[in-house]
Amino acid sequence: MTNKKVWFITGASKGLGLSLVNQLLAKGHFVAATSRSRLDLEEAISTATSHFLPLQMDIVNEESVKEAVSKTIATFGRIDTIVNNAGYGLLGALEELSDSEARHNFDVNVFGSLNVIRQALPHLREQQSGHIFNISSIGGYVGEFPGFGIYCATKFAVTGFTEALATEVKPFGIHATVVLPGYFRTSFLSSGSLLTPKNPIQDYKSTRASQEHHQNQIDQNQPGDPEKGVAAIIAMAEETNPALHLFLGSDSYAMAKSKAAAVDSELEQWKEVSVSTDF
Amino acid sequence: MKNSNKKVWFITGASKGLGLSLVKKLLKEGSFVAATSRNSASLIEAVGHHTAFLPLQVDLTNDQSISEAVKSTVATFGQIDVVVNNAGYGIGGAIEELSTKEIHQSFDVNVFATLMVIKAVMPQLRLQQSGHIINISSIAGFAAATGWAVYAATKFAVVGLSEVLAEDVKEFGIHVTVVEPGAFRTSFLSSDSLITAENPISDYKAVRTSHAKYNTMDGSQLGDPDKAATVFIDLAENPNPPVRLFLGSDAYNRASDKVSLLQKDLQDWKAVTISTDFK
Repeated sequence: MTNKKVWFITGASKGLGLSLVNQLLAKGHFVAATSRSRLDLEEAISTATSHFLPLQMDIVNEESVKEAVSKTIATFGRIDTIVNNAGYGLLGALEELSDSEARHNFDVNVFGSLNVIRQALPHLREQQSGHIFNISSIGGYVGEFPGFGIYCATKFAVTGFTEALATEVKPFGIHATVVLPGYFRTSFLSSGSLLTPKNPIQDYKSTRASQEHHQNQIDQNQPGDPEKGVAAIIAMAEETNPALHLFLGSDSYAMAKSKAAAVDSELEQWKEVSVSTDF
Repeated sequence: MKNSNKKVWFITGASKGLGLSLVKKLLKEGSFVAATSRNSASLIEAVGHHTAFLPLQVDLTNDQSISEAVKSTVATFGQIDVVVNNAGYGIGGAIEELSTKEIHQSFDVNVFATLMVIKAVMPQLRLQQSGHIINISSIAGFAAATGWAVYAATKFAVVGLSEVLAEDVKEFGIHVTVVEPGAFRTSFLSSDSLITAENPISDYKAVRTSHAKYNTMDGSQLGDPDKAATVFIDLAENPNPPVRLFLGSDAYNRASDKVSLLQKDLQDWKAVTISTDFK
C-alpha cells in the first residue's frame, strides 16, 4: 500500500462527514464510510474508485459496528484514522423530553461512538498506531445553549471520555482528539438532524425562543465553512503531536475562551468554600 | 405538616456517603428530609426514626418508582425546596474493556436517574416558582482521569445538563448547582460504590496503575463528608448560588490545572481554530 491512509468515518452521508469523505477521496486516501442507509451514501458520493467503501451500519448495534470494522480491515488491511462523526441535535427542556427521546440521543451521540471505539481498538492496538477523532461540539464544553440540555450532556460526555481515552491509548501509539466545532453551515439545523420534543410544555418560553432562533436566524447563516473545518481535521491527522482538544471556528474559540475564564474566576470567587471541606 | 421556615429536601442515594452525612445534619438542624435508597431498611438503620424524616425505597431506574417518591414527599411535607441528585457509582476500566451492559448501567444510575428525578420534580417546582436542584457530579466531570473514561463521560454529562438546566429554569425562579467534589472519605472507593471492568485486558497497564493509586487512597481521602454537608446547606440558603461548585482542595487544584491545560490547547491551536470561518 502507498503512504495514503485508511479512514473510517461514521455518519458520512451528509454534513461534515460527507465533506470529509469527498476531500479524502480527492487526496487519494482510502475511505470506509458508514451511514444508516447505504443508498443515501451512494447517492451522496457517486464514485467508482476502489478507495471508497460505503457501509450500511446501525451505530447503536454493536454487531453491526463490528461487521463494518471487519469489512474495512478485510478491504483495506488496516484502519489509520477513525472519525466518530455520526450524531444529531436535540432541542427541548429536560422536563419536556421523554426518557426514550433522551436515551436515543445518548444511543447515537455517545454509545454509538463507544461501540466504534471498542470494536476498532483491538486492531489499532495490534498496529500500535491510529488516531481517533470524536466529533463533539462547542456545546460539549459550554452549556450556554438554552434548550440543548440533553444534547450538551451527550457532547460533554464525548469530551470527557475522549480526554481519558487519550491517556489510556497513548502507550499503544494511538492518538485521540476531541473536535469541538462551532456553528458550521451544514444541514444540521434543518434536515432531520435537529429533533424537538414530541410533547412541548408551553411554559418554557426561553426554550421555544432558542428553537426559533436556531431554525430561523442561525440556519444557513452559520459562520463555519464545512470544507475548511474538514481540512483542519485532515491536517490534524498528519500531526506528530496532535491536539487533545480541537476547537473549530472563531465562534467556538470565543465561547471556549470565555467559558475557561468564567470557570477560572468562579474558582477564585468560591475558593474559600471549595477548600473548606478538607479534614 | 410543614409549618416552619425550615426547608424540605429530597435526596437520592442517601443510605451512605455524602448523602447520609447530609441527611443527618439536616435533621439535626430541623429541616424536613425525604431520602431515597434502593432499600429503605438500610436508610432507617443508618438514620433512625424521626418525624421530619421520610425514608423512601426507590428504584432510580424506574420512573414510576421515582414519581411515587416525589408524590409522597409532596403529600407528606407539602412542598420540595431542595433536590439533591446524589446517587451514583464509579466505574473503572479502559473503554475497550467495558461491555455495553457495564456502560449502560453506569449511565442509568449516574445520568438517566438524575434526568428522571428532574423531570419528576419540575412540575412541582414550577408550580412553586421556587426550588434548588443540586446535582452531584465529580471533579472527574470536569477533568477526566486515566482508567475512568466512562465514569468521566457520565459525570461530564451531568455537568453539561446542569449548566443548560440552570439557564432553562431561571425563568421559574429555580436555581441549579452542579457540585464537583474531589475525593471524600466515604465508602465510595470500596466495592459497593465502585466497580471495575469484569473483563480487563492485560495490555492496559496505565489503567491498572491508575486504579492501584485510587485503591491506596481509600481511608485517607482529603475530604470531610460532614463539612461537605455544611456547604450544601449553606448553598441552599444562598440567594445567588453558583452554577458550578468544586469541593475539596484536590478538586480545586485539578480544576485549576485543567483550565490552564485547556487554555494552552486553545492558544496553541488558535490559528487552526479560527481558520475555518467563511471569509
